[in-house]
Amino acid sequence: MVAANEVIKKDIQKHLDLHENKDMLRLITCGSVDDGKSTLLGRLLFESKALNEDQLRAVKSDSKKHGTQGDDIDFALLVDGLAAEREQGITIDVAYRYFNTDKRKFIVADTPGHEQYTRNMITGASTADVAIVLVDARKGVLEQTKRHAYLASLTGIRNIVLAINKMDLVKYSENTFDGIVESFNEFSKLINVDNVTAIPLSALLADNVTTRSINMPWYHGTTLLSYLETVKVDGELSLSKPFRLPVQWVNRPNLDFRGFAGTIASGSVKPGDAIRIQPSGKTSTIERIVTQDGDLEQAVAGQAVTLTLTDQIDISRGDIISTTETPASSANQFESTIVWMTEEPMLPGRQYLLKCGTSTSTATITDIKFEINVNTLEQNAAKNLEINNIGNCNINLDRQIAFDNYDDNHTTGSFILIDRISNETVGAGTLNFALRRSQNIHMQAVDVDKEVRSKMKTQKSCVLWFTGLSGSGKSTIANLVEKKLTQEGRHTYLLDGDNVRHGLNKDLGFTDADRVENIRRIGEVARLMVDSGLIVLTAFISPFRAERQMARNLLEENEFLEVFVETPLAIAEERDPKGLYKKARQGDLKNFTGIDSPYEQPKSPEILVDTSNMSAEQCAEQIIRILRERGVITELKD
Amino acid sequence: MNTDSPSSTPLNERRRLAVKLRLEGHKLKEISKLVDLSSPTIIAAHKQFIAGGWDAVNVNPRGRPIGDRAATTKLAEQLKTQALNKPPATNSPWTLALLSEASEDLGAQTSIRSIGKYIDEWDLNSTNLYKQCKEAGRQNDWLNTHYADISSTARKHNAVTYWAGTNTSSCRCTQSNTLQKYIYAHTTRGKYYWLAGDYATDVERFIDFFNRLASPTDNQSDNTSLTIIWQGQDPRLNTQLSQWLEQSQHISFHQHPELPSQAPKNVNEEINENTSERSVRTKNTAAPTTQQNNTTPQESNNDSPGLPTKQRNTNTMPLTHLQRLEAESIHIMREVIAEADKPVMLYSIGKDSAVMLHLAQKAFYPAKPPFPLLHVDTGWKFQAMYDFRDKVVKDSGLQLITHTNAEGVERGVNPFTHGSALHTDIMKTQGLRQALDKHGFDVAFGGARRDEEMSRAKERVLSFRTEQHRWDPKNQRPELWNLYNTKIKKGESIRAFPLSNWTELDIWQYIHQQQIPVVPLYFAAERPMVLRDGTWIMVDDDRMPMNMGEVPMMKRVRFRTLGCYPLTGAIESSATTVPEVITEMLASNQSERQGRMIDHDGAASMEKKKQEGYF
Repeated sequence: MVAANEVIKKDIQKHLDLHENKDMLRLITCGSVDDGKSTLLGRLLFESKALNEDQLRAVKSDSKKHGTQGDDIDFALLVDGLAAEREQGITIDVAYRYFNTDKRKFIVADTPGHEQYTRNMITGASTADVAIVLVDARKGVLEQTKRHAYLASLTGIRNIVLAINKMDLVKYSENTFDGIVESFNEFSKLINVDNVTAIPLSALLADNVTTRSINMPWYHGTTLLSYLETVKVDGELSLSKPFRLPVQWVNRPNLDFRGFAGTIASGSVKPGDAIRIQPSGKTSTIERIVTQDGDLEQAVAGQAVTLTLTDQIDISRGDIISTTETPASSANQFESTIVWMTEEPMLPGRQYLLKCGTSTSTATITDIKFEINVNTLEQNAAKNLEINNIGNCNINLDRQIAFDNYDDNHTTGSFILIDRISNETVGAGTLNFALRRSQNIHMQAVDVDKEVRSKMKTQKSCVLWFTGLSGSGKSTIANLVEKKLTQEGRHTYLLDGDNVRHGLNKDLGFTDADRVENIRRIGEVARLMVDSGLIVLTAFISPFRAERQMARNLLEENEFLEVFVETPLAIAEERDPKGLYKKARQGDLKNFTGIDSPYEQPKSPEILVDTSNMSAEQCAEQIIRILRERGVITELKD
Repeated sequence: MNTDSPSSTPLNERRRLAVKLRLEGHKLKEISKLVDLSSPTIIAAHKQFIAGGWDAVNVNPRGRPIGDRAATTKLAEQLKTQALNKPPATNSPWTLALLSEASEDLGAQTSIRSIGKYIDEWDLNSTNLYKQCKEAGRQNDWLNTHYADISSTARKHNAVTYWAGTNTSSCRCTQSNTLQKYIYAHTTRGKYYWLAGDYATDVERFIDFFNRLASPTDNQSDNTSLTIIWQGQDPRLNTQLSQWLEQSQHISFHQHPELPSQAPKNVNEEINENTSERSVRTKNTAAPTTQQNNTTPQESNNDSPGLPTKQRNTNTMPLTHLQRLEAESIHIMREVIAEADKPVMLYSIGKDSAVMLHLAQKAFYPAKPPFPLLHVDTGWKFQAMYDFRDKVVKDSGLQLITHTNAEGVERGVNPFTHGSALHTDIMKTQGLRQALDKHGFDVAFGGARRDEEMSRAKERVLSFRTEQHRWDPKNQRPELWNLYNTKIKKGESIRAFPLSNWTELDIWQYIHQQQIPVVPLYFAAERPMVLRDGTWIMVDDDRMPMNMGEVPMMKRVRFRTLGCYPLTGAIESSATTVPEVITEMLASNQSERQGRMIDHDGAASMEKKKQEGYF
C-alpha cells in the first residue's frame, strides 16, 4: 500500500515538474467565420482537453438546437460564446482563449468581426508569436487572406501558418493545396514575411489538426498542433538582442535603497554590466538584480526585476536602461506607421499623448506621407486617417525619448496614441526610424550643470519672454530691466529682434515658415543661455500662442516667464515710434500685427504690465519686484 | 588511413591470424598492431569464426574484373542497402571501415576511399560542423565560452565528444520510397558514424545509435561517457527521447546554437505513391528554420527539467510559462501603480487573491506594496476565511480596509430569504461601490481571470468604469503590446486584472511552486454538509436554517472556489495537498465556477453583474 502511494506521488511530482516548466506561445487566428475559424479553435480546445464537461454538455445541447452539424458537436458554438456577448457590441473585439499541452501553454487571440477587422487584428497580433491565416480550400487565396497576411507582417509576426481548411470539401486534393500554396507564396514576396508553413486541414473532421490525416497521404509535413508545440517563441529570440529595460517605477523604500523596477525588453543583464541611461546619456554600472527570492546572478528578456546601480544618478520612469555597447537611441522626430482605431479621424497638427514603453510625451503628427490600402497594398495620399486605416506618418514629440526601431525591438519601438480630452486609446503604431539622424547624437552629460552655474551667480536662470504689440514698449522695458539687473550684479543677456536678425537668423525672411524657424532658433539660443546660468530677456512681438508655447516647451517649468506688455492698440498706434502703423494703414506693410494680422493675447502670463497707465520705469520696477518674489534673484551676500 | 587494398589471400591470412590471437586472449589493440587490421574488422572476423568456422573468416576475392561495371553497380546497391537499412553486425554505428568490411563480406574489395566516395554520392556524409566552425571562425563566442567549458568537463570525465545531428540522404528507403533520413556523429578529429533513421519518427533507432556509440570498447567494461553537441532541432522536444536522455547518466547532451548549414533538400518535386507511415517528406521545407546568426547559445547542461523554476537563477533557457505569467502580472501592477493616484487591492481571501497578493509583494520588493487591501465583506463568508484573512494581514503588514454594506445589514439582507441574486447585488456589488466611493480609490486590482467564464474572454486587463461604476462595453480600450492606457477623468475608475491570462491550472501550479498559503477549505476534510438542489452546502454556522427533516452529515469535501458559504458548492474529494488538488483537477471535467450558484441565475447573468459593477 505504502509503495503504491509512493508511486502515485512520484507520478504527480513528475507531472508537476513537466507542467511547471513548459513555455508559452501566443498566437492569433485570422479568418472570417466562413473559413471555419471558430471550428478550428473549438477543435484545438477540445482535442487539448481545455474544455470542461459542463461546457461541453451545454454545447452538445446547443448543437442540437442551433448547430449546423446534425447530432455531432458544432465546435464553432464553443467559441462563439453567449448570444448576449455577441450582441453587446464591444468596440474592440478580441477574445482570448487558453489551452495547454504537455509541451506548452497557448494563449489564442481570437479576432472575430469583419468590419472592424484591422484594429482588432492589430490588437491581437501585437502580442502574438504566430499567426494562423485560415483559407477555405474551396475559395483559395482571397483578398482578405492577403489582408490578414499583410497585417501580420506589419506587426512583425515571424511565423505564419497558412491553414488550408475544408480539405474534405475538395476531396483532399493535393493539386488544390499546391495551387493555393503557390498563389500565396507569390503574394508573400510582396510583403515582409519569412516563415510560412502551409498545412492542409479539415478542422471539422480533425484532419492534420492534432493527428496526421489518413486522407492526405501525400502530405508529410507536421500537424498544426505539433507545429505550434515546436515553433520558436519570440521571447527566445529577444534574448540575443542588446539589453533594454524601460524603467517603470523607482523603488525607494528608504534612503539607503534606490532601485529601478521594470521588465527586461530584450537581452540579459548581470551585476557589473556597464549601462547607459537614455535619453539622458548618463552611464553607470549594475550593482544588484534584486528580487524577493534573492539577488540574481543574471536576468533575461521577459523577467520583471529591480536593478540597483553603483552610482547615485537621477533616473525616472520612462527612461531606458541599456547596454553601453549598443544603447537605445533617443530622438523626438520619427517616421512611423500608425493604425487609427477610433471614429473621430486623426488630424495632422492635433496633439495626442504618445505612450512608448513607459514614457508618455506629447506628439503631433506633422505629415501623413501616405495611407496604405490594406487590400491592394497601394499607397495613397491622405489628409487624415479614418478608423481602421493605416498610414505612414511623421511625428514630432515635445521632448526626446529613448527608443529602438520597431524592427529591432518591438517593446521599445511600439506606441499607442491617447486622446488628450477623452483619454481614449485612439491609435497605435510603430517607430520605424528617427528623422534628422538625431538618434546617433547621445546627449552629453556634464558635471557642471545649470544649477551650479546659477548658484555662483546667486540667481535662478530663466527667460523673460516679453510679448506685446509693436510700440507697446517691450524693448524699452526689457532694456530698463536689464540695466537694473546688471546694476545689482546679475548676469543677463538681452536677445532682441534686430541683433538676432543680423547674425544667427540672417538667412531667414518673413514667410510664415521662416517666422516659426526664427522663434525656434531664438528659443534654442535662450535655452542654451539659461543652461549657462543667465537671466535671458527676449523682446519680440511673437503674436501667436503656438510659437510661445513652443519656446516654453523647450525649457523646464518655472524657467519660462511670459511678460505680457499690455497696451491697447489705439495707444500703441498713437505712439508709433517707428512709423510702422502708418505704413500698415496705408497698405505699404502687409501682415502687420494688430492691423491685418492677429495678435493672440497670452491667457495666463507669469507677469503682466500695463503701459497705458504706468511708465516704463514703473513697469521695470514691478518686474524686478516679481522676480524677487519668485526667487529668481535673491539678495546678494557682501 | 589504409589506402592500398591488399589482395584477398594475404588478407585472409591476416584475418585468420587475428582470430587465432583473439582466441588466445590477446587484446584487440595488440592484435590490431600485429596484423594491421582495425579492431572492428577483428571483431567481425572473430564473430564470423564463431558463427561459421574458419571458412567463414575468409573474404571473397576483392576488386572487380576489369570492365564489369554491372558488378560495381550491383555491389554499390547492396552496400547502400546495408548502409541505409540495417545497422552493422557489430555494436557500433556504421563507419567507413565497417562498410568497407561489409563490402568484403559481399565478396568485393572496396577501399575506404571508395566507400567515402560512395557515401558522398548518397549524401550520407554530413558536414563536419565542428571543422566548419573552427575554420570559418564562426560562433567564436560559443566555441570559446560554452564549448570550452563543455570540452573541459568532457575531458575531466573521460568522455568522448561527438558533434551529432540528423540529415536526409539522396537515397530512397526501400519500403516507402521516401528519402532516407539518418543520424550521424563526428568526433572532433573527424571520425564519422551514422545510422539510418529519424529520431522524429524512429525513437528506437535514435536511442540505438547513442547506445552503439557508447558501447564499451575492449579495454573497458563500462559504457563510454559521451558528450554530444547536437545541431538541428532539439530531440528533447520529444518526450520519450528527453526522458531517455535524462536517464542516461553517461550522456551529456548539448544543443548547438546553429542549425545545420546545409540547405534543406529540395524534395518538393518528389512523387510518392507509397503510403508508408514512416515517410517524412515535408511539403514545406522553408518551414520553421529561422537561421539566427547571433542567437544566444541555448545551452542546457544537465539541467534536468525537474528543477523548480525559482531555483533557476542563472539560466539562459527560455522562460517557463509561469515565469512569463508572473512577469506579465508584475508589469501590469507596476504600470498601474506608477500612474494611479489612489490604488487599492481587492482581497477576497480566495486562491486568486492569494496569488495576486504574492505577486504584488514581488513587484514592489523590497518596498511593501504601496496600497491597502480592501475586503468587501458580505458577512456570510466561511469562518475559516476570516481567520485566514486576519493571519495574512498580520503577516504581510499591509493595511486592511473591510467594508460591509451597513444598509444591507440593517435591512437584514441574507442569502436565504433574499436569494443569491439580491444578496450578491446588495452586499457585494453595492458594497464595493460604497467602499470605492468612500475612500476615493481610482484603481482597484481584482483577481479575475479570463478563463473563468465565457463572457470574460474579451475583458481587458484594465477595465474602465464610469462615475456610476458602470461598465460601458463601448468604452473599453484596445490593449496592444504591453502598453496600458491608464488615463482617466476625475470620478472614473479602473478595475485592473493582473491575472487575466492565468488559468485555474496555472494558479494551482504557481501556488505549488511558490508554496503560497491558501485557505484550508480548498483541501478535503470532513465537514458538516447538506445537499440542496444537487449541491453540497456547508453548514458553517447556526445562521443556516435547516429544512424539514434536514440533518447535516459529515462528508469529505473541498471547495474549488470560495464565496459566501450558503452560495458555494463543495465537491466530494480526498485531495488534501496541492499536488493532489492538481491531479484531481486534471482528471475532472467540471469547470471551476460550476460550484458558484450566482452564475446560474439565468443566462448571461455574469454579463449583467459585470455591467452593474460586480467583479
